[in-house]
Amino acid sequence: MKKGFKIALALLVVAAFVCIGVTSCSNKPKPSKVTIWCWDPNFNGYSMKAAEAVYVKTHPEVTFDIVDIPNDQIEPKIEAALQANGAGLPDIALVQDFSIEKFLQNYPKAFADLKAAGIDYSKFAPYKVGPMTVGKSIYGIPFDTGSTGLWLRADYIKKAGLKPEDYQKPMTWAQVIKLGEIVKAKTGKPLFAYESDSFDTLRIMVQSSGGQFFNDKGELDINSDAVKKSLVILKELNDKGLLFMAEGWSNWVNALNNDQSAGFLDAIWMVGTVKSKPENKGKWMVVPTPLLEGVPGAANASNNGGSSWFVFDKAANKKVAIDFLKSVWASDSPDSLAFYNDILKACGAMGTFLPSQSQPNYTAQDDFFYGNQAVFKDFSSWMAKVPTLKYTANYNSMRTAVYNATLLFFQGKYKTVDETLAAASKEYKQTTGQ
Amino acid sequence: MNKRGSYYRYLNRFGWLCITPAIVFFLIFMAYPILSSLYYMTRKWKGASNTFVGLGNFVRMSGDSFFWQAVGHNFIYMAIQIPLMILLALLLAVILNQGIKRLRGAFRTVFFLPCVTSLVAYSVLFRILFQTNGLLNNLLINSHILSEPIAYLANPFWANVTIILALTWRWTGYNMVFFLVGLQNIDTEIYEAAEVDGASKARQFFRITMPLLLPVILFSAVTSTSGTMQLFDEPNILTTMGGPANATMTASLYIYRQAFVTNSDFGYATALSYVVVLISGIFAYIQIRFLGNRGEK
Repeated sequence: MKKGFKIALALLVVAAFVCIGVTSCSNKPKPSKVTIWCWDPNFNGYSMKAAEAVYVKTHPEVTFDIVDIPNDQIEPKIEAALQANGAGLPDIALVQDFSIEKFLQNYPKAFADLKAAGIDYSKFAPYKVGPMTVGKSIYGIPFDTGSTGLWLRADYIKKAGLKPEDYQKPMTWAQVIKLGEIVKAKTGKPLFAYESDSFDTLRIMVQSSGGQFFNDKGELDINSDAVKKSLVILKELNDKGLLFMAEGWSNWVNALNNDQSAGFLDAIWMVGTVKSKPENKGKWMVVPTPLLEGVPGAANASNNGGSSWFVFDKAANKKVAIDFLKSVWASDSPDSLAFYNDILKACGAMGTFLPSQSQPNYTAQDDFFYGNQAVFKDFSSWMAKVPTLKYTANYNSMRTAVYNATLLFFQGKYKTVDETLAAASKEYKQTTGQ
Repeated sequence: MNKRGSYYRYLNRFGWLCITPAIVFFLIFMAYPILSSLYYMTRKWKGASNTFVGLGNFVRMSGDSFFWQAVGHNFIYMAIQIPLMILLALLLAVILNQGIKRLRGAFRTVFFLPCVTSLVAYSVLFRILFQTNGLLNNLLINSHILSEPIAYLANPFWANVTIILALTWRWTGYNMVFFLVGLQNIDTEIYEAAEVDGASKARQFFRITMPLLLPVILFSAVTSTSGTMQLFDEPNILTTMGGPANATMTASLYIYRQAFVTNSDFGYATALSYVVVLISGIFAYIQIRFLGNRGEK
């Protein structure tokens, strides 16, 4: 009897613990950790942290691990992990728009179909949704726009004896070159800080003219007027000493922030970088991207970069990650709109979520810029005119081939534009085996 | 000894047991990758899918002038940097061995330290030194040797020079230590006899030291050659992906670019690696035949 009583008591205690355990499990949500890979902690990292703050208000059990991985390393890392069947992948990764077609084509099952998960894509800018669409599936959350402008130092223009207000209008490249010559003569500063191992400037010019690098079948086609005229202008800028050559991203940022040049041509997301030097307050102004003359379809607008967030299909915390993106990045709740508003002012991150475009910061004046220019309003209006560029899966190979040839063109190894383009085509064909 | 004795059987089994872990590791980490690379080599890869192309990758390789240019760069580095480094290492070893008596240990350490630094860290450092607004240009301009900064990293010739300088800085001390050890084995009586015969220091160096150190020089040459054939970190980081415009592209870096940066074509990258291995092997063989035999005479 005693033994039976002991056994019964023990079973009762165990049952009690089990009940407590089960009920506590079902009442308290499991803690989960969402891992996110992105580059540029001042921009992408900052935006993600702001989004995290919004989400943990309603989901305190979720923690976020935002890992900073440099831009040029994140794609090989993702690729290596995908080859290893998903080992080491994060839950969410930031991928540049020009690379996403490559990933979707080469690793079709790697990413989570977010359209199937209920995201409403009609609320995002169409030109961002295009590259991430495959058939009926859409795979990412569009993030920032790369709407470009010509950034000029108003103080150097004044020093050169000119009025900055005269230049706050859409210009052609011929007009910009003239301005650059005067500024160089009077102040000694080249008008453009130029990243010598980057393709961006040429791409911005070609895209602004409505040109393409690939034909409709995805084959390389760089012998167009748009590309040739862009190369000619770039060479002219170099020959006239209007380009300050900087190797690598950090050198380039140094050059434009530390007065080694009087401006640069790049996208809205440079706001954070430019603002990181408070001494330059009141000195920067942004004017429309210069127009490439003589090419039908050209506009005073272009795009450089811009990326989107992608969730991996095999991610450990896929559900939480998708819920997070849906409720902060793709919802028009007051908290989400306030989030988009905040990251715009704080780091210049202009999202492509259409309901957020009417928020106050999108139209406000910014006292960091010369004349309190409402830069975001300007970028937003230029964004509407950006011609679409076809990237294809071979964008990276084309990019390397063309900027290698461009560098040698600058250094005089190739004498004509046709020779340069032929060399670029050769490198593209041989390195891709096509 | 009774070969069928139980003690012998025990030793036999025990022996096999001891080497089993090594065999397992070898099979998993060496044999399996090599065998599977034979499989990869015959396929054209595109991310998650691949198709059989037989020898197609090798046909493609024969028309890929950028790969052969990269191999050519490896050869240039071998031809220039290795003799330079070995000569320098020899000189330093001789000076440390015969000339400098005090602080010899300190000098040895200082020269040896570069080779234990991280490859990435020192490449970044050299990049900072050689960039257009970097320390070297600032020094040269401030001391009025130059009037305009030279863009070392944007100029194909100077970019190669920076790579060679970086490699020499890193590996001279390493080889110097081997030569120091070799020098200890040379009898001082030989030098004394040479002095008596009236040989100058230079003559002694070229006619006595170098021939007697030939086995060590051979070792340095073979290891340096195979290392230079695999050069990757310096062109990747110092001159960013073999820049400017592929002027410092090397074979390994090109393989990495094919596999991870532009193409995801692992089949082609594997085929290229086989060629690199073959070239390394040929060089090692040539050097051992050429230098090895002469040492034995």
